Amino acid sequence: MAETKAVYHKKKKKVSLFSIVNYIIFIIIGLIILVPMWKVVVDSFNAVGVYQFKLWPSEFTLDGYKVILGEKGLLRPLVNSFVTTIFGTLLGLVLCTLGGYVLIQFDMPGRNLLAYFLLFTMIFSGGMIPEYLVMRRLGLLNSMWILVIKHGINVSNIVLMRNFFEGIPASLFEAAKIDGCSPMGIFTRIVLPLSKAALASIGLMFAVSVWNDYSTVQIYIQSPDQVNFQYKLRVMIMDGDTPPTAYNVAQTTLYNAGIIAAILPFMILYPFLQKYFVKGVNIGAVKE
Amino acid sequence: MSKKKVMTSTGVEVRHKPLGLRIWNNRGHYIMFLPVFIFVLVLSYWPMLGIRYAFMEYKAGTSPTWAGLVHFNRMFSTDAFWRAFKNTLILSTVKLFLTTFASVVVSIFLNEMGNLFAKKTLQTIIYLPHFMSWAVVASIFTLILSPSNTGMLNGMLRDMGILGAQDRNIYFLGTPSMWRTIFYIINIWKETGWGTIIFLATLSGISPELYEAADIDGATRFQKMRYVTLPALANTIITVLILNLAKVMNLFENVFVLYNAAVYDVSDVISTYIYRMTFTVARPDYGYSTAVGLFKSAVGCVLVLICNWASKKTRGRGIV
Repeated sequence: MAETKAVYHKKKKKVSLFSIVNYIIFIIIGLIILVPMWKVVVDSFNAVGVYQFKLWPSEFTLDGYKVILGEKGLLRPLVNSFVTTIFGTLLGLVLCTLGGYVLIQFDMPGRNLLAYFLLFTMIFSGGMIPEYLVMRRLGLLNSMWILVIKHGINVSNIVLMRNFFEGIPASLFEAAKIDGCSPMGIFTRIVLPLSKAALASIGLMFAVSVWNDYSTVQIYIQSPDQVNFQYKLRVMIMDGDTPPTAYNVAQTTLYNAGIIAAILPFMILYPFLQKYFVKGVNIGAVKE
Repeated sequence: MSKKKVMTSTGVEVRHKPLGLRIWNNRGHYIMFLPVFIFVLVLSYWPMLGIRYAFMEYKAGTSPTWAGLVHFNRMFSTDAFWRAFKNTLILSTVKLFLTTFASVVVSIFLNEMGNLFAKKTLQTIIYLPHFMSWAVVASIFTLILSPSNTGMLNGMLRDMGILGAQDRNIYFLGTPSMWRTIFYIINIWKETGWGTIIFLATLSGISPELYEAADIDGATRFQKMRYVTLPALANTIITVLILNLAKVMNLFENVFVLYNAAVYDVSDVISTYIYRMTFTVARPDYGYSTAVGLFKSAVGCVLVLICNWASKKTRGRGIV
């Protein structure tokens, strides 16, 4: 009896040493992620545009944010980002729920053919240049709606949606069919209300991908009133497209305020919707 | 009148009606699929027709004429193309192995944390960078690594006396010997946390009995990690590697936002090469860039098929 107690005791001590080490590792990892982000926050409020190692702004200012919201050249891209994100998410959800729902109609002739029709695009694509030429042909160059259209159709999200729909009991569909419900009626009255969690997760995936898109703009859009904020931010910082004297604010203050504006919408939503953000990965990847 | 009996995936037996009737009964479903069909047809299949330009002479402002394999001959004898191909493979695979390794290590430590609050907090923090765009991440690190007097890293090196008063600031992203390392570090910073999700899901599925059995055998914590946790993760690690190896050729945005003319030697990848050959020249040669794109798509396609085969072998289901 005494012996077991001693063993238990010894073990407990070991655990606590380990957890101290573990806490230290945790703090280090957390700091590695947070320090660059905190620096951006501080610099965005700091009127002094020269390097200082400070955890708090030495001279507080809101000018960076005022410039972003006040200058047309910066506000327009920000508005474009919001508009394209909203419409891209809506279009994406419509198309991926429709596609996913049709793919679970096991009685439908040609269902497999349609599935292969979609899946083939995941394996092979025309490539950057043929896609560019098609968009030019469609007259979509230099239009922000290209962001909506390009992100609206996403085959892997259709597959995710289908996987989710497969989990809805088939007896519900049968019952509705017997009651005389049309396919569209089953879709809007049974499938969609049962899929709120999946709609939230996949909707967020669409929203993040449209909001964060930079390369589509880089390839297809030149006109300054059609670009999105990510693009504007990047050319402003990397290509020095904004001369230091253009706006009445220190360059780094403006740059860092721009970075904050580019991440703020999702940073605000993120703590509340974390489970939906995370769920998308698990619907797809670890389906047992 | 023999009617075929077919099992659906849910195991329900369906007596098949005549084809025409089944098509008629599903007319609503076909109509519902139509928007998806049109979008995929126009945005994915139409561009595939454009692959013919790879075999044509097609410069901006002219109409395409057949040219055979000239673009491929030119491509395979161009050093810049091979450099881009090599860089694509190196940057993609090293990045993949490093971020996967980092994710495994972090998720093992997360799994060992007994304090639930601490665990949840750290998870929240390390998932954050995943939701930032590459444009934002590149902006953050460009400002930190900036060679001007606002750069944090140069400033810190000065404060610590590593850079003397007469030394010039280091242009980190413009130095070929440092660029790849910085690229890997930024990728690890952004994606490690997100990568832990799938490993944590696996770890939460390990039966506690295995750990209890190891306890009874007197295993230490590190022995348990080595002999219980790691083997349980092995399958997931292989899955993640296979899934991502299929995407090795798709490197574009993260390189594009971080590279510059000074470091093309170590950073230029196939997609950025195509981009520059088309959009930064006065008279783009669509034929040649389509040919390079076709090479990229073809290699990517082969990789997907290989990974799909490997995935079926190791875990019983494909990746597409």
